[in-house]
Amino acid sequence: MTVSDTPAATKTTPPLRVVVVDDHPMWRDGVRTDLEADGRARVVGEAANADDAVEIVVREHPDLVLLDLNMPGLPGMVAIRRIAERLPGTRMLVLSASAAEPDVLEAVKAGASGYLLKSATGSDLVEAVHQVAAGEPVFSPSLAALVLGEFRRVAAGGGGDREQDLTERETEVLRLVAKGYTYAEIAHQLVISVRTVQNHVQHILGKLQLRGRYELMRYAIHRGLDRDDDR
Amino acid sequence: MSPAPAPPERPATAAGPPDPVAATGVAALARGVLAIRWAVLAWMLVVVANAAVSGRGTGLGVAIAAVATVAVWVTWLTFAGPPRTTRMLLADLTIAAALVVVGARQPWFATVYPVTAALAWGAARGVGGGLVAGGALGLVSFVTGLTIPDQPVSAQLIGSLRDPVNFLLAGGGLGFVATLLDRSAAQVRAAQVEQVRATERAARATERESLGRQIHDSVLQTLALVHKRGRELAEHPQVDGAEVGRLADLAAAQERTLRTMILRRPDDGPPDDTRTALRDRLDRAADAVAVDVDTAVTVVGDIRLPAAHVHELGAAVEQALNNVVRHAGATHAWVFAEIADDQVVVSVRDDGCGFAFDPDALRATGKFGLLRSIQGRAEDLGGSVRVDSAPGRGTELELRVPVPTGAQRNTGERSGHRRTDQGHDRE
Repeated sequence: MTVSDTPAATKTTPPLRVVVVDDHPMWRDGVRTDLEADGRARVVGEAANADDAVEIVVREHPDLVLLDLNMPGLPGMVAIRRIAERLPGTRMLVLSASAAEPDVLEAVKAGASGYLLKSATGSDLVEAVHQVAAGEPVFSPSLAALVLGEFRRVAAGGGGDREQDLTERETEVLRLVAKGYTYAEIAHQLVISVRTVQNHVQHILGKLQLRGRYELMRYAIHRGLDRDDDR
Repeated sequence: MSPAPAPPERPATAAGPPDPVAATGVAALARGVLAIRWAVLAWMLVVVANAAVSGRGTGLGVAIAAVATVAVWVTWLTFAGPPRTTRMLLADLTIAAALVVVGARQPWFATVYPVTAALAWGAARGVGGGLVAGGALGLVSFVTGLTIPDQPVSAQLIGSLRDPVNFLLAGGGLGFVATLLDRSAAQVRAAQVEQVRATERAARATERESLGRQIHDSVLQTLALVHKRGRELAEHPQVDGAEVGRLADLAAAQERTLRTMILRRPDDGPPDDTRTALRDRLDRAADAVAVDVDTAVTVVGDIRLPAAHVHELGAAVEQALNNVVRHAGATHAWVFAEIADDQVVVSVRDDGCGFAFDPDALRATGKFGLLRSIQGRAEDLGGSVRVDSAPGRGTELELRVPVPTGAQRNTGERSGHRRTDQGHDRE
């Protein structure tokens, strides 16, 4: 879906404050250029590793963090967990070189609102950033497939309670996303509004992240480290 | 008491190449046996000398001859090394048997020396050898004992059974120790070999990992950048868009290949038994048309099916994609596969012009051939095809075939992660 960008909105709303985390300077430059081109966003901090990222995010309180999972040193995954822990509610978008890395699903469960391939075009990136900033998850087809597989796996294992399972409708929406349909196309096909599709996707993300927190908590209790979970 | 020469040849009990651990153990045993030989010989000399001085003892001549023989033999063994060859072991056993006979006839001269032959056999040939030698000596002792006159039957029986039992115990016991030594040496060796292998495996894994990182950090990033910038250049009015677009596609294809390569783990090996990953086949089908239409392949879980199923489904998808390239005028295509309600569902979708789906009209215009071919493949697998299309809305073709009985249904977590997914990101 497209975010409305009328000139009036551009002038009145302050630019989105973004922190970019990537170990490649050329990527950070490219992303900065793309994001700042229309004046709707401003890069307020850059980090080349997970440690710096957490520090800058805690200092800057950005609207959105754009980060690569695959960096030398501490994995980007750790940065996501720490940011989610220290500044809950911070929007995070993963920018990844390869789509089906094991970390992608984990990143979303830990609090990221989606991920984007690095081969995505500049306009795709800008659109995704503003979408995430507005609270919309960015589900790519491959992420949707990973999420479908995750819920099936849990359902097949018989674990978890029914309320955490996807509803029929949510599964249907996710399947259409996996097939490459846009929200508008899905809305048309299911004869519902785009807003409803967005709500479904948001619920799916919410259930996934709830599951992520539940697993993390169970793991922490198991390890006797329940202080790790502050929720 | 005696310098033990290094064993001149490998221990007969050790199978395979000389083993340092086993050799050390067996050499220690042999040294021990030699020491006993010398000690017993010394005691024999004392006994014989005492008998000669006191003038007691019948058959003094035989006893002196026996001691002299043993002295020569033990001296020889000290320099030539402990008996290992069958010939030397037999000679040792013969001397021991003769001493048993002599000792039985002249009770004052009775000696424990014959036991050393049983020990030597045990040390050289393990439990079996020790028992054989001990048994042979015991038999000689028993038979000889029966021929001795003037003894009460009970004493005779007990006396003649005591020595055979001792011989058996001595030979078998030391043989057991030798066998144990050998076995533990083999275990130590196996552990060493395994350790070396584990180190090699770890080194290979590390190398692969670092290679993967390098590719990820340099090649993938660069390719992705070329892909991205190339696409943007193509949209620019004054450049040759087609040319740059091809460049971008080339880079994208290369990027995919590399990703697949580094994500395939070394221990993945060939797919388990006869089942093949559907994903690999669908990726190949997509790569075949990659230059003409941007195709994303998305698979829920790791779907593994018999090779024939994968072949038919893959071929059907390839036909469908070729049709998209030829007729649909599409820029994007999506291949999606999942297992739902015990059916394998594979769909091919495009964003092309679409058409009014009417089998009769298609038949009339001769365009039905391809669809029929795809349908045939699905029906061969007991399934069906559904076409959903409308002018201006693209086309979706969906194949549904029953999951073959016993097919691996793994919607597990690891599967989806393992492969790359060239899903073009759009929401």
